[in-house]
Amino acid sequence: MGWSAYGRPLVSAGDFYFAINATFRFIHDTYGKDALVDYWRSMAREYHAGVAERFRGGGLEEVRRYLADYFAHEPGGDVSVSLTERGVELDVHDCPAIRWLKDGGREIVPYYCEHCHYVSTAIAEQAEMSFTLQGGGGACRQVFSSNGGTA
Amino acid sequence: MIGVKDFIGYYDWTFEYLRSNYGEQAVQDYWLRAISIDSQRHARALIEAKGFNGMEEYWGHTLAMEEAGYTFDRGEDYFRIDMFACPSKGHLIQRGLAAYHDYCEHCMGWIKPVMDDAGFVINHEHNHAGQCYWEMRRAWDLLAEPPPNRGPHDVRSLPPEVWQQEQHHRYVNSEGIEEEP
Repeated sequence: MGWSAYGRPLVSAGDFYFAINATFRFIHDTYGKDALVDYWRSMAREYHAGVAERFRGGGLEEVRRYLADYFAHEPGGDVSVSLTERGVELDVHDCPAIRWLKDGGREIVPYYCEHCHYVSTAIAEQAEMSFTLQGGGGACRQVFSSNGGTA
Repeated sequence: MIGVKDFIGYYDWTFEYLRSNYGEQAVQDYWLRAISIDSQRHARALIEAKGFNGMEEYWGHTLAMEEAGYTFDRGEDYFRIDMFACPSKGHLIQRGLAAYHDYCEHCMGWIKPVMDDAGFVINHEHNHAGQCYWEMRRAWDLLAEPPPNRGPHDVRSLPPEVWQQEQHHRYVNSEGIEEEP
């Protein structure tokens, strides 16, 4: 008999990206694309309601703080978060999710990157902000801005 | 925005989203098709190829990544995990999250199909409070009752105020048996 015990500080488990990718595929293939978009928007409205409240209350500085902490806990990737006159800019040079899925040899669903658009747009709307996204496939730029477009 | 930092929260929420929109069977289908067959294909490959060694290799990796509090136990005819501090359920309890009515069932939802296909049966009990045990045996090696207590590392040896809390779900030879109050 051999047995062992583990206990380490909090670090996120990258293999969860496999489940996220598989979840998108399951909903899309079973219920259709509109259902997948509804899943993303519903998650933003319901699960992320507290995040939207934080953004609405704390403004762009809270957005910057939240995103910087968020990506600090994602395994791998190369993401920078900065507060500029445009708003909070998220420069994704190497998306941790896409990187993990590629390195794991997984077939990434072609609509994977769309979840950032739908989820973040719905969160921004609840926070009375705007959200834009350019790029995809592992590198993109995302911007949260106050309605009016300035920080 | 859907990353792994808060995956457990989304995961629990997703179960309830599927249940409320498509019914309970949709949750079972999700655990089978999305998690057991698709997401966890690496676990399937290891366990189907290496049996007990594959289980130790898979869970040794993934439970370490998830910072679980657990022990492994290997016998000639079984592979066993005793989970003292489930990281998933602990995450939900600490944050007061319980979107789906039975989060713990997702493990049987995806692991049982893996074991069915690999030729193993599961003896398992969880208390919905972050403690459980898993004892996998070969499919022909059936038990008449839950496995005997394996000693101090057996989660059932925990003080009653820890192990006996909440409702228990129990499985012998991969079949659910009566619930304890």
